[in-house]
Amino acid sequence: MKKQILMAAVAALMAAQPVSGWADDVKVGALMGITGPLANFIPPILNAAKLAEADVNAGGGILGGNNFVLVVADGQAAAQPSVDAASKLVNLENVAAVMGGLSSGATIAAANAVTIPNKVLQVSPTATSPALTDIEDDDHVYRIVPSDNYQGEVLANIVLDEGLNKVAVAYVNNDYGVGIANTFKTAFEAKGGTITAFEKHEDKKNSYRGELATLASSGADALVVIAYAAGSGAKIVKQSLENGFFDRFVGTDGLRDDILIEQVGADALATSFFSSPTSPAENALSAALRKRFDETYGEGSDKPFVDQTYDATMLIALAIEKAGSTDRAAVKNALREVANAPGEVVGPGEWAKAVKLIAEGKDINYEGASGGHEFDENGDVAGFIGKFVVDGDSYKQIAIFE
Amino acid sequence: MIDFINFYLIPGLTLGSIYALGAVGISMIFGILRFAHFAHGDLMTVGAYAALTAVWVLGIPALAAIPIAIVFTCLVALMADRLFYKPLRDLPTIYTVIASFGVALMLRSLVQTFWGTDSEVYMTGFQKPVVLFDIFRVATRHLQIIIATALLTLALHLFLSRTQMGKSMRAVADDPALASVAGLDTERVIRWTWIIGAGLAAIAGVFVGLDTDVHTNLGWNLLLPMFAAALLGGIGKPLGAIAGGLIIGVAEEICTYPVFGESLISPSYKTAIAFVIMVLILIFRPQGLFKGRLM
Repeated sequence: MKKQILMAAVAALMAAQPVSGWADDVKVGALMGITGPLANFIPPILNAAKLAEADVNAGGGILGGNNFVLVVADGQAAAQPSVDAASKLVNLENVAAVMGGLSSGATIAAANAVTIPNKVLQVSPTATSPALTDIEDDDHVYRIVPSDNYQGEVLANIVLDEGLNKVAVAYVNNDYGVGIANTFKTAFEAKGGTITAFEKHEDKKNSYRGELATLASSGADALVVIAYAAGSGAKIVKQSLENGFFDRFVGTDGLRDDILIEQVGADALATSFFSSPTSPAENALSAALRKRFDETYGEGSDKPFVDQTYDATMLIALAIEKAGSTDRAAVKNALREVANAPGEVVGPGEWAKAVKLIAEGKDINYEGASGGHEFDENGDVAGFIGKFVVDGDSYKQIAIFE
Repeated sequence: MIDFINFYLIPGLTLGSIYALGAVGISMIFGILRFAHFAHGDLMTVGAYAALTAVWVLGIPALAAIPIAIVFTCLVALMADRLFYKPLRDLPTIYTVIASFGVALMLRSLVQTFWGTDSEVYMTGFQKPVVLFDIFRVATRHLQIIIATALLTLALHLFLSRTQMGKSMRAVADDPALASVAGLDTERVIRWTWIIGAGLAAIAGVFVGLDTDVHTNLGWNLLLPMFAAALLGGIGKPLGAIAGGLIIGVAEEICTYPVFGESLISPSYKTAIAFVIMVLILIFRPQGLFKGRLM
């Protein structure tokens, strides 16, 4: 039996994926959780990455007219599969840099096991865990969403502003859940709120009623759910409502998924609200980007992390162009130069202009649809947090915090 | 105390029923075909999605879609047996085990191709629980799942003890060589093993979808506790597998019951319960509770 399990595990690792590539293609890996708890977020996110890929190629290609190719790998938004997928990208596909992963756990696992040891630049469009700030990455790992240190603090303010002084917290036991839950707790208590119960849970179970019964008995006004909707979040909300444990919920970006409304119904969520990293007020270039997105893919430009994913892909492309080659060390070193001020500002859809500026030897500063992306010494950015409420079968932003 | 029944015991029995229905197939296939069928969880997934399609197309409730799910899943299982397991029947069983891993990956990828990777529900919204005697609060679907499992267990028992085919199955599970010498048609027994195993897996899959949601890793995520249940009950003992499933489901849920305000164990260790039970069984009672075959 032991031998069988071992061999079975080997078989599972061999889940192969098609290999593509031309001699002159400039390849960048896209580490995505196509299956797993983030699957529902993926279609628009993947489209955003593809739109950036298309923009580069339509704008004259990369490194003197070569084809810019994204190689997508499925990390299942979980640690081990992400390491396998990242390893495939870095060692087999020989990509110049990696865009992704999406969840914090996947990003950190892939970074520690693959990209940092192999000295490959990794830019995550969505990983928000504070743990990513302190990772020993020798300047290889970046993200373009603000850390949850920031989201936790903003969320604490939003919750108190709603008049909720006593809340219970249910958070998922991974880098994302633990990170944001702890920063929220610290900020909330510092501002005078009371956390009546604070419980972590495992993803992907069928029943959370036991945990919820304990949380409900603590006498809280609302339940703060820090989990992915498709992993455990939607079940927690649904089972709370069914059993009358809670009727008001506060969620973070992981819960703000259309699947939640689909499973629970919009009426039951009328008093609930959500925080999520968001984009700054629209300018001409980001508006044009969103219009182009909807024209190309039908819909979805307003979905979570679309702007961020476009920007992450574009920043990597710019870094490669700036580096003048696919040499991994050069690409890594070029990222800050194209992302941070000073420099001539370029935005989404201005690939040809950026290439021209780089060719002229000018410094550029990419200002994306999701923010200015000025990386600090940890590879973090400041950002924007939005407050969202349910509107029909999706969400609408009602406030923005900088 | 009433909280214990409402929020720990009944969800535990529901979860246990799902494990139990899945574990029966695993136990029977292990007993009769002599290999660990790793694709069993994905047969559940196939069943859940077949029912989802019926719900979408015909507009019927999920429970009414169960027969369609059963037929479809049985066809898939019989086809997998014909194409991938039968040619390997005479080789050491490890070949079939690995093949079942391949089948698991194929089934999951096919489901992802045809139905996509989004998680879906049979029905939007939530239901208020049924209140019995003013104190018991039970979700309707939990009652349905638990009662259906009880009826299926009874039917399975009658089938195995009263019918010719049921007796043949037990004979093959006990001693395949003797059964073959006695003139039993082994291929026919194997066919029925798949039909029962896959049919129950399909029902379990629909139950998972009914209780929570339908997603492509639905069955795969449940594979470990189902194997633990089959081992606990004793390999080749379908009724043992049902008992094993219920025990593991209930154990997973009640382990978080707060005693004196503190959970017995932290809910984040819930998943480990099935592991712990499986390891203990393998060490101290490898034949399982119901004296199953040793591996």
